[in-house]
Amino acid sequence: MRSDKQFDVIVIGAGHAGCEAAYIAARIGAHTALVTLDANSIGQMSCNPAIGGIAKGHLVREVDALGGIMGEVIDATGIQFRLLNRSRGPAVQSPRAQADRNLYRTEMRRRLSITSNLSIIEGEVAEIKFTGNQVTGVELADGTRIGGRAVVLTTGTFLNGLIHVGKKTFQAGRSGEPASIKLADCIRGIGFKTGRLKTGTPPRLDGRTIDYSKFDRQPGDERPVPFSFKTESINRRQIECSIGYTNEQVHDVIRNNLDKSPLYSGDIQGIGPRYCPSIEDKVVKFAEKSRHQIFLEPEGYDTYEVYPNGISTSMAEEVQHEFVRRIAGLENVKLLRPGYAVEYDFVDPRELFASLETKVVRGLFHAGQINGTSGYEEAAGQGIVAGMNAALTSLGRPTVEFDRAASYIGVMIDDLVTKGADEPYRMFTSRAEMRLSLRYDNADQRLTPLAREIGSIDEPTWERFLKRQSDIAQVKDYLQTARVADLGEERLGELQLGGSADAYGGKRLDYLARRPDCSPQKLLEIIKTSIGSEAHEAQIMVAINDLRYAGYLKDQETLARRRGRYDELPIPAEMEFSKISGLSNEVVQKLTQIRPRTVGQAARIPGITPAAVSILLVATLRG
Amino acid sequence: MHSDDTIAAISTPAGRGGIGVVRLSGPDSIKIAASFFRAQSANGPGVPNRAQFGRLIDPVTDELIDEVVLTYFKAPHSYSGEDVVEISCHGSPIILARVLQLSVDRGARVAEPGEFTFRAFFNKRVDLAQAQAVRDVINAQTQYQARVATKQLEGELSSRITPLKNALVEVIVHLESSVEFVEDDISPEVASTLIGKLTNAINALTAIANSFAFGRFVKEGFDLAIVGRPNVGKSSVFNRLIGADRAIVTELPGTTRDALYESTSISGVPVRLIDTAGIRETTDLVESIGITRSRSAIADADISLLVLDASSTLQIEDVELIDSVPEARRIIALNKIDLKNVLDDGMYEQTGANFAHQHDNVMSISALTGSGFEQLTSKIFERLSGDATAERDDIMLTDARQHAAVQRAIEQLADARNWLIRGELEEVILLRLQGALVALGEITGETLTEDILGQIFATFCIGK
Repeated sequence: MRSDKQFDVIVIGAGHAGCEAAYIAARIGAHTALVTLDANSIGQMSCNPAIGGIAKGHLVREVDALGGIMGEVIDATGIQFRLLNRSRGPAVQSPRAQADRNLYRTEMRRRLSITSNLSIIEGEVAEIKFTGNQVTGVELADGTRIGGRAVVLTTGTFLNGLIHVGKKTFQAGRSGEPASIKLADCIRGIGFKTGRLKTGTPPRLDGRTIDYSKFDRQPGDERPVPFSFKTESINRRQIECSIGYTNEQVHDVIRNNLDKSPLYSGDIQGIGPRYCPSIEDKVVKFAEKSRHQIFLEPEGYDTYEVYPNGISTSMAEEVQHEFVRRIAGLENVKLLRPGYAVEYDFVDPRELFASLETKVVRGLFHAGQINGTSGYEEAAGQGIVAGMNAALTSLGRPTVEFDRAASYIGVMIDDLVTKGADEPYRMFTSRAEMRLSLRYDNADQRLTPLAREIGSIDEPTWERFLKRQSDIAQVKDYLQTARVADLGEERLGELQLGGSADAYGGKRLDYLARRPDCSPQKLLEIIKTSIGSEAHEAQIMVAINDLRYAGYLKDQETLARRRGRYDELPIPAEMEFSKISGLSNEVVQKLTQIRPRTVGQAARIPGITPAAVSILLVATLRG
Repeated sequence: MHSDDTIAAISTPAGRGGIGVVRLSGPDSIKIAASFFRAQSANGPGVPNRAQFGRLIDPVTDELIDEVVLTYFKAPHSYSGEDVVEISCHGSPIILARVLQLSVDRGARVAEPGEFTFRAFFNKRVDLAQAQAVRDVINAQTQYQARVATKQLEGELSSRITPLKNALVEVIVHLESSVEFVEDDISPEVASTLIGKLTNAINALTAIANSFAFGRFVKEGFDLAIVGRPNVGKSSVFNRLIGADRAIVTELPGTTRDALYESTSISGVPVRLIDTAGIRETTDLVESIGITRSRSAIADADISLLVLDASSTLQIEDVELIDSVPEARRIIALNKIDLKNVLDDGMYEQTGANFAHQHDNVMSISALTGSGFEQLTSKIFERLSGDATAERDDIMLTDARQHAAVQRAIEQLADARNWLIRGELEEVILLRLQGALVALGEITGETLTEDILGQIFATFCIGK
């Protein structure tokens, strides 16, 4: 293809997946172009101005451990930080932060613009070009051709995006931004299986018209836990959130207007996320609840715009005004922008390999909402993998795949490419069989060595990682050799352990770490004074947490293996499923389409019954 | 979910019989059958659930093969869930083979062993436990076994296990939801409800597991040694015991002992009688019964029935036998109580108490009149179940694999319960709960993670 410009990697779309993909590709050394409809909306948060949450915070940490950018940006622009599930075990603790929406966007753009090897190009991609089944670049709507050895598609909600506000429908990818129609046609033209999904967002409120006295306050953590391993500490002033509730009057208004709701009138085709329902959904599905929780989240230090988390809606504007004003504290509120639902195309992620490259077009990668996921963090997790592999492919190097036993990124990708997405996919800790091993505080242990191999992190980052590991090893060593008896009565008393001293008298400190009644915080204090402050608190905690779960890791593994005794058993690449007697057409079709590499992957394909797996297993074992 | 090929097999056992059945299952069943079946009435084959009389005609030679009855079961209301055709012919192996060949010629495939049941499982007509039960019904050698197996077939085991699985899933859902969505710790009231659910599940599963103590014998049979000195009436006792079951005498899987054994059953439970002294002889005794021979039989037996003659005084041989049979597996039968109980009189004189007071598990019987045999049979089964009082018709585990799975579930649940009480971390408790679920799933079928996620969504929605 004769082109005006030539790159190694082209990333289409500068949302959360696109930014990660472009950033990491450039860092690895690929000459990268990030093409976006509007450079001002790079890193724009379409919905909730927040990053993280249970399991999502884990993803952000993993992206950071691999050399990605989301963690640093939120650390630099967050206005309230909370570590969720503090009172629970470390495997289910996860950081969350609210961002100043504008600052996040501008900071992301700033960082990308100073990244070497990365060019930002404004324009609308109309077509993906390829020769045979190898991608060769893209063509913009104005005719400009950009050549590329690998292309990453991260179009978010823009493909054939359709916005619904009550009966008003118009094409758009996001409020105020045009949809990508030509590109959507191109993608359908390639022959990918597509579907429709939807997601919603609440109205934005004018904070100056809110009566905060009617809400409960929720402050951030005193000492914010950063997302990025590179961030030492966060010292910015934190804002408070407010918690309120809907009530029966609100619900009545909604119930009386359901016929005007696009969801219920059948105007919206796509399937929405079960776990992030609109307020209409909640009122109908949970009719017995007299109130639903709302979180008022300020969108920044300097803005009066407020994001009401919990009342996502696509009702007509007048109806939105009516029901929002019935919420206690919002009687006089002004709506700055109405809430809306957006419907969009996605491509069946089973069209992808675990590297996120499509099976039918070499060099083409998909990441983010186009794969049927929801959430910025899920997008970033895929973006970094697609970007990495696009760069590696364009440089003639082998791609990498992520094991579901070693990261949430791995769980997510395996789920997507094996099971597809019949509703927007969101990460939960319960999706991970090895949940106890995948903590937010050990993401670097699990992934940074791989980043080093690939070359996506720099030398100082690697040195800091090694230092952290050595600190942790030092603390573990201390815990495994120091004796409880040597602590002295006073310090032992501080721990307030139950039971008699005989139980732990002769033991080492690691025994204490494993006891459920031993507060990790108190143990940390003891260690700090014993070992000196050489090791940072974060590292001490990692050592303690490793020990807390140590006894259960084997059980976790046994259970995972029991569930899939032949999980790792490879299926020969040339196996002809149609020749196996006893498998139905449907099963043969699914197996042929997805081409599972192992029996375990085959077993996870929806619609493959245990009986079919047995037949497949026997056929595989028989050879 | 349907397979696209049609399978065929001779469904009745090999050998001659009055009737033989060829069964077809799959989308072409009717088409294939129609190619060689001419109904007597005007209708062709293919009227569901109606036995049709007709003829089998060889489509090539036009020769009459047999007069048969054809029944068509339309999917999904059939054994396998697919279209099924059953052709009942005269039970000649040659005819049956011919019908099978005709079917194959017309596109059917000879079924693999168990394939009909496999398809039934595939099409969710039966679950795993029921599928196994089908095999067991076919293999059942006694009526009792057949009844137990039939109960399993009707899904009784599954219907007992499924509510427990559901309760377990409820607990899992609750804990997972509190981890994913809600930040408050579990309140004491909620904790005690969860603990209560786990306790109930543990108790119910324990009762099921205990039934294996007896259930194992129902399936595999047990070894019974009847010992006693000559003339005490061993063979009469034996004949009374097997009573009406005498007609059902089949070969059970062999053992490697060199003592003689006879396979029969008592009240439907298969028993291998270890013959210590030619009990099957019509005369009562063989002079040269050796104590050693008795001893080795006793060692092998699951239950040893020691027979004494109540109408004579206690002999040295009797005492030696009593000493040599371990108490845990022993029943002492005082036979011939229809006569004067000389034995007890003697005991009373010597010790001031009768025989039953000196030993446990003593039964008074008369092989002649039949008195006491109902109690003796019950006692035998009681001792077999390890003295647990299991109702004979209660749900019973007969399969060692299922038993192991239930045991594992119980262990995991007990751990989970203790940890919940102790305030252990939720994600660690969940490991055990998931393990118990997997174990139960081995009996009835998998519960997928997606199902649990679905249930979580049905009851909760995310806040922040």
